[in-house]
Amino acid sequence: MKSVHPSFHLFESIGDHVLIPDGSRIYKIDKIIHQKLEELLSNNDQVGIDQWLVENDLQSLGQIDDNPVTDPPLTSISLAIAQKCNLGCSYCYAQEGGFGVKAKNMPLEKAIAAVDLLFVQNHTAHRMNIAFLGGEPLANREALQAVTRYARERADAELKKINFSITTNGTLLTLDDADFFEQYGFSVTVSLDGIGELHDRLRPYKSGKGSYERIIRNVEPLLAMQKNMQVSARVTVTPGNLHLKETLDELIRLGFHSVGFSPMLSSPGGNDEMDSVSLEKMLENMINCGQEFEKNLVAGKRYPFSNMSTALKEIHRGTHRPYPCGAGAGYLGVSASGELAACHRFVENREGYFGNLTEGIDRNIQQAWLTERHVHRQEPCKSCWARYLCGGGCHHEVINRGRPACDYIRGWLHYVLQAYTRILDRRPDFFYPEQ
Amino acid sequence: MKKISSIEPKNLTAQLHYRGEGNPPSTHPSTAVSNCYPGLEMDFRNVWKHVFEGIELLEYSNLVIGVDPGADEKIQRLVSTGIQYELVSVDGIPMTAPVTGPFRHAPEMIHDTIALEWSNALAEVLLKAGQFVLCKFQNSNNLREIISMELKVRHFFDVDLNRNGKVVNQRVVIAREMAGPGDLTQSLCSPWQNDYRECDCFYWAASRPDFVNVEPGKDGKSKGNNWMQKDRTGTADKKYISDAEDGVRGNPVLVSYQDLFAAWEENLHYIIAGKDVPLNNPLKKVKTGVKKKSK
Repeated sequence: MKSVHPSFHLFESIGDHVLIPDGSRIYKIDKIIHQKLEELLSNNDQVGIDQWLVENDLQSLGQIDDNPVTDPPLTSISLAIAQKCNLGCSYCYAQEGGFGVKAKNMPLEKAIAAVDLLFVQNHTAHRMNIAFLGGEPLANREALQAVTRYARERADAELKKINFSITTNGTLLTLDDADFFEQYGFSVTVSLDGIGELHDRLRPYKSGKGSYERIIRNVEPLLAMQKNMQVSARVTVTPGNLHLKETLDELIRLGFHSVGFSPMLSSPGGNDEMDSVSLEKMLENMINCGQEFEKNLVAGKRYPFSNMSTALKEIHRGTHRPYPCGAGAGYLGVSASGELAACHRFVENREGYFGNLTEGIDRNIQQAWLTERHVHRQEPCKSCWARYLCGGGCHHEVINRGRPACDYIRGWLHYVLQAYTRILDRRPDFFYPEQ
Repeated sequence: MKKISSIEPKNLTAQLHYRGEGNPPSTHPSTAVSNCYPGLEMDFRNVWKHVFEGIELLEYSNLVIGVDPGADEKIQRLVSTGIQYELVSVDGIPMTAPVTGPFRHAPEMIHDTIALEWSNALAEVLLKAGQFVLCKFQNSNNLREIISMELKVRHFFDVDLNRNGKVVNQRVVIAREMAGPGDLTQSLCSPWQNDYRECDCFYWAASRPDFVNVEPGKDGKSKGNNWMQKDRTGTADKKYISDAEDGVRGNPVLVSYQDLFAAWEENLHYIIAGKDVPLNNPLKKVKTGVKKKSK
């Protein structure tokens, strides 16, 4: 692994390139500049680096300062509509659905109060998203459907745009659900950790019985039907399912709109967490999938590997962020009992408590969170070139386990940066899809 | 000799912030000494006026002031009859907003419309670049007459298109069809004079005299001249003469833009301690109000 420096990152791909973190700017450079920068880097010559950046008009633009976001409008909420689940996944952050407390459903009036909070706190924005999570959200189908109808009617009346999403284990999906999701244009994410037995080992029913066959039987009609809705697969990667390409190929073949992988970095009991050796293997496998993506893209074939397509588009735009996600800012989770949390993972967790539906968002807690979680306050992030692409890593994972995956994240970004310049050269149209 | 090295911006943010070797910092709009009206380096209004194929618009009023020679007859009509037409909506989005309120020269409340600022009003329309959108034009003399027609929205940035008109590549450069060579600077003949005349005391950034030769009156009010008044000799009745005295800008007793372009040195005299400095023997007759320090 190359040395890590906050000022820039060098990478080779159809020539030499440099990433300047501030503004996530990418430049192609000649050999002379490359040698000069390598020299400055190996001598850790910060004065020389700063001078070179100024001389070449590549100095910091001050795109991200130390100030935290203040009073962000609320654009997304997730509802823990059912804090219960019929599966018994060993690594689940929700501890098999109940988040460590008694299993329960969110009453409809709480769900409606949460949607009302979203509309009131959405003042300056016009787009909103409501995510249904759990537990298994379809365990409380009636409230889910009723609150969706309520939110859409209110959005229509106020001329606002609203999107809905659900993350489901797929075991309870019915044809009626498919119609409903299609009607309301849901983004449906199905959790699948592999094909067949591999999935069954990680995501069995509480009884221990496998769930894969049932899920696929349930999901197939949705895959065939998806027009307004999009049906994607999310794979949680543990040391037990590192053969990613086989899973990716099969899920794409089944017709998922996109497929994405996420490493298991922090589970309540430490079960199935990824260690450095597993992360190294995962990186190798991710790059393998990325290369397949590149090959298919150049050949004009569909290969919806979402980690790759999302990262490439963000790199092209030059996305730079002081936080890893909107948790605690534009996005909040709501528990079944009406407590607000930094995100869906912090439900029933005092570390991510943000107020409740009766009293609203606790602005003092929120401001303290946004100040504390800013990437400039994180170590070792502020001395890392990837800080504005990564944002410091998932708050929940970092608070619970620290940052065991920095080399993996940098390794993945290094590869995607290389792939970006290749794709920009061969298929620039990838970055301009039909509207 | 210094070897010229090569740095090529690749992604969009790099392109946006890139400054070619030899260009001064003011090449970037973000670092330019600018005011949108029109600015010292470029006049951004000149980009928007070409946003629809076939017509040229006048910023501030939305009037159609030109059409392409080859444009079809319906488009030609927007300028050929001698009647002025104003763009009032695009794709259902209004380009003007109603204005209601008191006006100092009218006894009754006025009900009028004002043209909206294009960078905001047309932002959503740009999402339809390459497509036709419904544009509505209003006859300035007969507000009931509306001409509707579909016009093609130009791409704001330099793009490559495939045979179907789909964008296959884009660069962070304003498209040539939006602003041809010279367009961005064509209205910069005398920018400082424009701003200098416009920005009087009600504008926070004004750094020039405005209300001069002021004398307090016995009634507690003050009398003085507008610095842009041509005659400030005190022979005329002393009062602040407004540029829009009759509701129309361009009061002839004031120094005009043209006067400033042609001879600003002769028209703008020194003001010291709030008063005109006599031309024949300047400093002697002026009481500065600054006392000599006693030793």
